[in-house]
Amino acid sequence: MAHIASSRPKRSGIRRAERRFIAMVLAPTLLFYAVFRFYPVGYAFYMSLHDWRLLRADQVFAGLDNYRMLLADPLFHQVVRNTFYFAFGTTLLGTASALALAILLNPIRQGSTLYRLIFFLPVMTSTIASATIWLWLYQTRFGLLNHLLVMAGLPRVPWLQSATWAMPSIIIMSVWAGVGFTTIILLSGLRGIPAAYYEAAAIDGAAGWKVVRHITLPLLTPVLAFVTITGLIGGFNVFQQVFLMTRGGPYNSTRTISLHIYDYAFQRLWMGTAASMAFVMFAMVIMMTLVQMYLQRIDWEF
Amino acid sequence: MALKRVERLDPVSQTRARSARVSGLLRTNLVNYILLTLGALVMVAPFIWMLSTSFKPQAETITFPPQLLPKRATLENYTQVFERLNMVRLYMNTAYVAVVKTVVNVYTSTLIGYVFGKFTFRGRDVLFYLVLSTWIIPFEVYMIPLYVMMVNMNLGNTYWALIIPEISSAYAVFLFRQFMFTIPNDLLDAARIDGAGEWRIFHSIVLPLARPVVATLVAFYFMWNWNDFLWPLIVLTTSDKYLLPLGLSMMVAEFGTQYGMLMAGASLAIVPVLMIFVSVQRYIIEGIALTGFK
Repeated sequence: MAHIASSRPKRSGIRRAERRFIAMVLAPTLLFYAVFRFYPVGYAFYMSLHDWRLLRADQVFAGLDNYRMLLADPLFHQVVRNTFYFAFGTTLLGTASALALAILLNPIRQGSTLYRLIFFLPVMTSTIASATIWLWLYQTRFGLLNHLLVMAGLPRVPWLQSATWAMPSIIIMSVWAGVGFTTIILLSGLRGIPAAYYEAAAIDGAAGWKVVRHITLPLLTPVLAFVTITGLIGGFNVFQQVFLMTRGGPYNSTRTISLHIYDYAFQRLWMGTAASMAFVMFAMVIMMTLVQMYLQRIDWEF
Repeated sequence: MALKRVERLDPVSQTRARSARVSGLLRTNLVNYILLTLGALVMVAPFIWMLSTSFKPQAETITFPPQLLPKRATLENYTQVFERLNMVRLYMNTAYVAVVKTVVNVYTSTLIGYVFGKFTFRGRDVLFYLVLSTWIIPFEVYMIPLYVMMVNMNLGNTYWALIIPEISSAYAVFLFRQFMFTIPNDLLDAARIDGAGEWRIFHSIVLPLARPVVATLVAFYFMWNWNDFLWPLIVLTTSDKYLLPLGLSMMVAEFGTQYGMLMAGASLAIVPVLMIFVSVQRYIIEGIALTGFK
């Protein structure tokens, strides 16, 4: 670019115009991120160090009391366990299903769009609408799933009404809701594998599972790692389906951290405690992000 | 290219390789179709049951054994939803908020992504990573102060409170910056030398080139915004301001056992996003590929 600049007298004028353009775009951008992202995070941390209640004039400084309380609170421990249960359950089941679907979908030429659209249908559906549908499918007496179980001669399952079954039920619903998205991402990862590898394998007489095991999976590992980590991070945020389907019950068996934060902040209005929970959640997300950054630095060589 | 390589082999292994490949392809694809169709059935079954229930009168929704088709199909569930939920207003509210948020966010993020991707200036990388770092902040961390800020600015129960915090998003900025690397610098420099201003270059060269990515992100952000729940739940307090997911959740709380009506409401919430996606779906795979996926 420098040699162009020296040969064109207009270049310095262009540089000035460029600088003005950059400033015009970046000044409001930085203001936005400072005011609506960084400032609230700092504010939240300030809140978490106080016994901060909404609509109170003087907030009482509490040091690390909120965090100490969380450490000692068995309910909060359960909430964190529930959140991990949901995140890992949904991600593992979801990634495995998406991988199977993507591998099945990849070689297909006819009708591929139709299948993709069908798998993607639940992704487009609002979680609240999906949760409403599944609330009906899981209904103990009249729901379709128990009707089918009875017709197959099996006992009814108290899906959302038992502390054992409620979380698996929400996981199944969430896998259904999200698997199409992961499938599309894995599919675009598969499309990136050069056809030459498959041809070489075919010439060597390898087919089916062998090809999947020795070519597809190793070459797809970076994408799989990405999908797993972002799935876990997304799982930590789960709110809508538990809010609508179980409200955290029965016996707090589906109470996740996001729901717990919402209840503390906007039902009880104990915003300081809620903010300290949010930072526990932040720590979980940061941990996962660090794992992802570490995985990305690995040179995936097989 | 592949055929050429096979032809270089001796005749025996050439035939063997070709026949193995053809028969292998047929066999695996047949299995693929069967398994995919099974999977597809599982995926659509809830929707079919939703539609079927939505056309059943209340008494028929709880019959055993379950009937796929209603004996006496009715539209009363839909008319009920329109009357009790004020569906027209919910649609208008949701469409307004979702369109404004999507257009603003995608436009600003293209612009910011362009500046970070196509210009060199001091501190660029630091600033970019500063913006990008906000991507990992869970919404739960800043939603509480954000709520207090909105209330202090007298923006509680307004759409401004929904729109303002979403003017730009790190995720979209990141994806657009990735895309900008694919635009050749020479193209932009040529326009500069021809005397085009920076805004003109952005609007008439960069933005059109970014169309597949813009379409993909418009589809996804429209979907996310249309379905957004937690923040509207916190901010909106009167039912005339409610958006669709919020209205639907209120309906579940109020008419929890009228499954026909709930399913009619769910069906009505799904249709618009479906239409948007079907209309841009050809861009989506391309858009995902261009940004290096995600």
